[in-house]
Order: sequence, then structure tokens, then C-alpha cells
Amino acid sequence: MGNKSGNATALTVLSPIVNGIVDGQSFADITRERCLRIPIHEKSPLAKVPNTYLARLFILDNVFYESLPGSDSVFNFSEITSILSDSARKKALPRKDQLKSKYLVFSSNFHGDLDEYLTGMWEKWSFDDHGQQRDVRYIWEHCVSFEGVKDCAGFISYIKRCQLEATLFFNGSTDDSLQEQLKALYLKQEFSKFAAEHQGKSAADLQRAFKTFIERVQPENLSQPSWNPGQSTL
Amino acid sequence: MTQNLDLTDIQGNIVKAYGSFGFFKARYLFLRIDDGDKGRGFVNRITTKVTSAERWEKDAAPSVTTNIAFTYSGLQALELPTASLIGFPSDFVMGMSKRKDILGDDGPSDPKNWDKIWQETVHIWISINGKSMKDIEERYQWVTQQIEASGCGVILLKGHRGEDEAGNPRDDLPYQDASVLYDEKGIPTAKEHFGYTDGISDPVFEGQTNNAARVLGRGKLTREGGWEPLATGEFILGHIDEAMEYPQTAPRPDLLSRNATYMVYRKLHENVGTFNKYLDEQAEIFPGGKENKELLAAKFSGRWRDNGAPLVNTPDNESKAEWDKKFAAADFSTQKRMLTDFSYNDDIDGAKCPSSAHMRRINPRGSLEYGVKDAFDTPGALVNRRRILRRGLPYGKVNDATSDKGNHGIIFMALNADIKRQFEFVQQQWINYANDFKEGNDKDVLLGNHDEKNPGKVVLKVERNSGKPPHFVCNIPRLVETRGGDYFFIPSITALKMIAGGIIDPT
Amino acid sequence: MSNIAGKAYAMNVITPMRWYKVWLNRLIFWAAQKVPNVLNGLLTLSLIHYARWVIIPRDKFPRLDPSQPKEDLEYSYMMFFSNFNGSWAQYVDSFTFAIPSGLDLFWKMNVRYPKSVPLTPFHDYIQHNQIDTSHYYNAYPMAASNDVKSAKTVKKALIDFNAASSNKTPEEFLEDYNKLLNQLQHDFGEMRPTPIVSLAAQAVKERYMESHAGTR
Repeated sequence: MGNKSGNATALTVLSPIVNGIVDGQSFADITRERCLRIPIHEKSPLAKVPNTYLARLFILDNVFYESLPGSDSVFNFSEITSILSDSARKKALPRKDQLKSKYLVFSSNFHGDLDEYLTGMWEKWSFDDHGQQRDVRYIWEHCVSFEGVKDCAGFISYIKRCQLEATLFFNGSTDDSLQEQLKALYLKQEFSKFAAEHQGKSAADLQRAFKTFIERVQPENLSQPSWNPGQSTL
Repeated sequence: MTQNLDLTDIQGNIVKAYGSFGFFKARYLFLRIDDGDKGRGFVNRITTKVTSAERWEKDAAPSVTTNIAFTYSGLQALELPTASLIGFPSDFVMGMSKRKDILGDDGPSDPKNWDKIWQETVHIWISINGKSMKDIEERYQWVTQQIEASGCGVILLKGHRGEDEAGNPRDDLPYQDASVLYDEKGIPTAKEHFGYTDGISDPVFEGQTNNAARVLGRGKLTREGGWEPLATGEFILGHIDEAMEYPQTAPRPDLLSRNATYMVYRKLHENVGTFNKYLDEQAEIFPGGKENKELLAAKFSGRWRDNGAPLVNTPDNESKAEWDKKFAAADFSTQKRMLTDFSYNDDIDGAKCPSSAHMRRINPRGSLEYGVKDAFDTPGALVNRRRILRRGLPYGKVNDATSDKGNHGIIFMALNADIKRQFEFVQQQWINYANDFKEGNDKDVLLGNHDEKNPGKVVLKVERNSGKPPHFVCNIPRLVETRGGDYFFIPSITALKMIAGGIIDPT
Repeated sequence: MSNIAGKAYAMNVITPMRWYKVWLNRLIFWAAQKVPNVLNGLLTLSLIHYARWVIIPRDKFPRLDPSQPKEDLEYSYMMFFSNFNGSWAQYVDSFTFAIPSGLDLFWKMNVRYPKSVPLTPFHDYIQHNQIDTSHYYNAYPMAASNDVKSAKTVKKALIDFNAASSNKTPEEFLEDYNKLLNQLQHDFGEMRPTPIVSLAAQAVKERYMESHAGTR
């Protein structure tokens, strides 16, 4: 499975946006503006969606035309035949592609099962937009056929229809649950401080201090004390 | 060597570290151009005395040198065409003070605390390096005559902090003097005010030397463990660089940028009192205690203070004593080699020379491959594009080694083809941050911008599986403060003449 | 709002490839996963949290309703998503010099891919085909990928040590504790907010912080 690396999962979603205009603004631009206004770090709605490592939203407006000079690095038929005729030469030039829809792209790296993750998105996604609380529907509102999404099951099946398979998913980190990762980061930071502060202490003092330390940081309690998802300052 | 440099066209300070040619004194002047035409006339006259990189036959070296460089606004004032000006990179256009967030120039290093001269608009930098103060003084008088002759077209800016001849503190000096430090016997040394030996292994690039021995430990590390000179284009525009292309930081036309480079000028005050106190305190809790104070000082920099012995080959007092014996008995070229020819391949953990040591931070050699053989295209893949030529000298005197007060430090000058990719990268990613060294945000002990709110900390590693704990060095104070500086463009002599003649045409 | 979230940078690159080469590229990616050495350089660089390549055959852009116009494309497309530590230039430079052959391998099949060395055509190619991110979320803005991995090591070692040391005498405890520190000596780097790698991104963030300071 291309979307999995152990328990780490890659979710790639391309949701077509309805071609249309309301109040002089296209649905694609409305959607982009909504994405741009999402608060960052700990206030991002994604901080509330369980097990999100890193995720992003953007609008794919079009594909790019490769007008750059040069040729493919790997053998391409028309470049050989182009020696023989001018029409073949023209064929070898890059073509111009145009997308007929704009796409909302959602790319997430998370821990665990897709259905559970999407349930979390449906249930937990919320953020404050100029004083109004918005859920996940606010972002997908103008996507094709999204009006048919009425409940969590509908959302899951909608997203799966928009999902693309990763050809290669590279995990340069861990595939632990986010709680596990955040607790580990908290412990790393706290233990580094402890070790530095207790350098050179006597055996008995150290043993006592370590015991207090463990009681405070509770290494096996994943929920607390720990870092919060999206926490950007100490 | 495959590359022949146009030594008569390249300014001498790019290829030569004047200090190692017996020029122990320097004076730096900063000027403003108030009139383009008169400014060009001034540049024309200075150019007649600009020192090139031409090789000096034995005993034929001059007694004084002169070099010149410009800020971006200086080139604007000299009325370079817009089509040329837009070719300069944004870091150079912005200048050093506006890059403070990238460089970590905060708190006492913030531009608002710099010498008064940096509140002015600086256009021109002129350096005079001399074998004696008399030589400097004579050339300085000549330069001031040219300033006068410019008829107010060019102004010498005042506002350097320092001491006047009577030893009184001043903040309005018209120049910045610098000098090597002398030992008790009056012999010139390569030391700076913290007592470290400085500037030992400057990079070597193609065309700079025919002496293969000089490349050892100073060029780029090869897969086989040997050394090759770095590509010329890492340090001089208009030549191929390590990316197999001409540097992208070159403005048009070609004759404006060929054989030129960029210079970072930084006045770095050294908090000698704080350093001495901190080192003494830390030595008390360092394994081995006060006996190992010099070892601890070496752990901060990567070299022993007394003779610059590289810590990676002399990790303890015994090996150091042995090294010293060999060093004393060795001839000059062997000594050079002992100082520069080493790598960290047998010390990936940093148990000998810590990865937080200043020398390892600014040039990790092949160690960022972490001993994973052939992981990268070449062992120096992450290093070869981050090298800088270091020029410069100490300034000021330490009258009271227990105090930070007074004016003493280093005039640091870094030369590179791309300030952002080379100098700024090293300053930001390797001195003030350490992800590449897997040390989080732990900074370079000596140069890091530590402060009371964020006191520095580094971990001095020990031998793996030795059962011994690493040593934590904590509460590191700010040891070095920036007192001023800017980014300069050092043109070739051809370009100087064209700038002076007003004939730069990028069409 | 930005391509930067703490210590991570979000890169999105979309490049065309001839439809009949799609299978070849899939084969290359498959091989890359099977032959460990290919990813060795990537792992040693250790600048990536997660990255992925997604090939979209030209007839496979999601179409959800007959009312949605059918795409009619000449090329298939490859999308690359990366979550890396450091600045754009640093990342592209590091990859170019550390693993040029790996980069060439992954993008070989793309139309007019210039190869990774020399650098500038490659820089331009990536920049030309890059799409900015509108919202980027990072669960640990103060941690680099190195830190997440190192934290896992610390957590496990700490729990193991704690379990094993509960009934030790102080002297035995100290000996084991020193061994623990030795074992973890590469894992004590302090995590703080990222250094500023882009003045423009920093300015945007400061304006954002100001405008949101009063509201919550």
C-alpha cells in the first residue's frame, strides 16, 4: 500500500471545486480565502483532529506549462523522428494542458486508520473565523457534490472518492501516535533540563531528585503532562 | 592546478590574508558619496593605488596595501545603471542591519547599539594594511588628500568607538584601526583577545596555490580521504562554483562582476571579562577541574589556545603533550600540516572535538555524513557550498582582563560569492542553531547569541559505551557582541576603472 | 497563510510526465523502496518528516458528478509533497549536493526535467512548478524530524531505566544513570522556536500575531 508506512498514513485529496461565481468571486477564490484565514499553530482546526502530524490545504488552479528549453532526460520517440520531419518536431515540443476544474488539495500525514481519522475531521474540526465557529464543511462547501454530504459516513465516502494513492510515501520520522510523539518530545526536553541541572550531584541526592522528576513528568501517562498539538512556544 | 586566476585583476585582499604576509596593522575607512561625478573621480584616483593579488617575489612585497569595496547604496550613488543594480542579490541590497533577524543580531548586538557610524549611510569601504603604523599613516594621509580633492563629493564618516592616542574613550573616531596582538616579548601572534589562535585553516580554492600541501584540511574532502581545492566560483564571481555553474549572484555586465566577490564586514566586541570568569567557573565543575581548564577552553573552539593544536588529534593532556613535542621538532610545512590536516571521520560522536566547538560548527568537514559511508554524493556535500574566506584582525587592547568594558574584539571579514548561501547560512544554521548537528537549538559556545532569557547550553560528548556521562556546559552568557558592519561588493580592478569611468553598460 | 509552520516547510510540486512513462516511474519508486541504499542518503540527510510522490494518470483526476467537466489532458502528472526542516534554498541545495542521483531518478520521467546538477536549472524547474500552501499545520512547530526521532529514543530509555533502577542502591543508581546519559548523549539538544529563515514569512507572521492578539 502506497499510503502507508507502518502506522503512518498519507492522505492525498483532490476535491474539484464548482466552476461558478457568487457576488463577483469564484468559488475557488472563496475557498482559498477561507483556507488562508484559518488560524495557525495551536489554533488551527487540525490541532483538534486527533493524530495529525502535518497537514496542508491549497488550491490547485492549474497545471504548469513547461516552456523551458531542453528535452526529456530519458529517450522520447518524437525526438528521434523530429529529425525526419517538421511536423514530428512540432509534436516533440511541450504541449499546453489546462485543467477544467480547480481543485481543493488536502494533504495530511497522520497516525492510524483512515476512517477513524476522517471521523475525527468531521467531529473535531473547528476554528474561529472572525468570531464565528466553523466546522470542516466550511472548507469543502463549494466542492462538487459536497452538498450531498450530510453526516460522517457521507463525509468519509466523499473524501475517499477524492483520494489519490501515493506512489511512494517516505517516512523520515516515526509512525507513533501523535500523543506518543508529543509526550516523547516533552520528556526529551524535560529530561535534558534535569540532566543538566543535576550534573555532579551526589548519588543519594540524584536518586531522590530523579524519583521526584519521574513523578512529575509521568513518562507513561500520554495525556499529561505533555506538549499540546501545534504548540509553538515554550 | 587547472585554474589560472587573473591575479593582476583581482583585488589582493581576496586571495591573500595580509596578516600572514607580515602586514600586522590595518585601518578601515568608511565613506559616503554626495556627488556621483566627483565620487567616480575619487574612485578613479584610489584605483591607482589598489593592491592586486599579483604574487610578490621574495622581498618585493610592498609595505602597505589599499583595497576598496562598495555597499549597494554606494553603487547607486556611483550611478550604476538600473539594469546592473537589479542583478545584485537581495541580501546585499538590504545590507547587514536589515538582516539582523537572520543573523541573530539581537539584544546588545542589535543595530541600534552599534557604533554611531552605522547610523550613517555607508557607501565605500577602504582598507589600508601595513607593516608598520608609519606605512598606514602615510597611505591614510594620501587617501584623505584624495577625499579633499573630491571637493565634498566624498565624505569620510566618523563614529567608530575606540580609544584616541591619549587612551581616552571616543565614539567619533574617523577610522577603525586593527592590529595583530603581540606577546609579552613584543612578538606578533595569531591570537585574539580570548587567547585563541585564529584563522588557521582558511579555505583554499583552485588557482590560489600550486602547493598541494596547503590544500590539506583546507580544501574539500574527497571520498578517498584526500583533499582538493574548492571551486574558484565559491569565492570569486565569474568562475565555476561547486554547483558546476557560474555564481548566480553576479550582476551584469560580465565585466562588472568577473573577478569580484562579496565581503561581510563585522566588528565583533569580545566580552573578555565575562569569558574569563565563565571559563574559570566552568573549569571548577569540568571533569579534572582547574587542571583541565585549557582542555575545556579547547572544547569551546576545537583548538588548544596555546598553539592551535586541533583537539580531534589531541583530545587529552597526554596526547596534547606528545603532539606539542612533535610540533616543536617539526619544520614549518609539517607544522602547518599538523594544524590543518585532519577530519572528524574517527570522531563522528564528537567525543574528542565536540560538534558544538566553533571550528567544527563553521566547517564540519565530512562529519555531516555521520559515518554512513557513501550516503551522499561526496562527504562534503553539505559543507562545500558553505565555506567562507576569513580575513580581518583583532582590534583594541584589553586593559583589564576581568572586565568587558573598553573596545576590543575582532574585525571579522568574510569573503564569499553568495552571502546568503555561505556567510548567513553558517551564522544562522550552524552558529545560532544546530539541527544539522542533531543538537536542536544549542548554539556555538563562543559566537552564539546567548542571553539571560535564553542562556546557552551545549553537551560535550564522551566516548560511546564508556559508562561516563557527557558534560553539560550551561548558562552560557553572550561572549561576543556585534558592534557594526555591512555587506560590500569588492569589484575587480577592471570593474573599478569602468565604474570610475562611468562606462558600465549591461546592454 | 504560509509555506512555513515552525521548523517545517511545506513544498508542493506538480510536474507533467508522458502518460506512457507512468508505469516506468512506478517501477522506479517500487524499486526505491525495495533497495535500501537508494533511500540511504535521504535518511542520512534527516531533514524530512514525511514526503510523498503521487502520480495522477491523465484520466484519473477525481470527477464526482456528470456536471463536472471531464478533464482532457495530454500529460499525466506527478505531485510531490514534502515536509522538511530548513529554508527552501537550504533544502534544495542539500538535496542537490547530497543525493543528485536520487533526485534525478525520481523526476527522470518528467517532461523537461533538467537534472539536479547544475543547480540553477533545477532550482528554476522546482520553483516554476511549485504551488504555495494556503494553510499549513505542524503538530510540533519547535521540533525538527531529528528531534521527533531522538525523543522516541529518550522516552523508551527513560521508561526502561526507571523500571530497572527502582530498587537500586544510590551508588548502583548513579552508575546506571551515568550509563543512561552516555547512551542518550546525542539526544539532549534543547528545542526552541525556529530561527527565522525567511524575513518575508516572519513579517507575515508578525502581522498575523498582531491582528489576532486582541481577539483571543
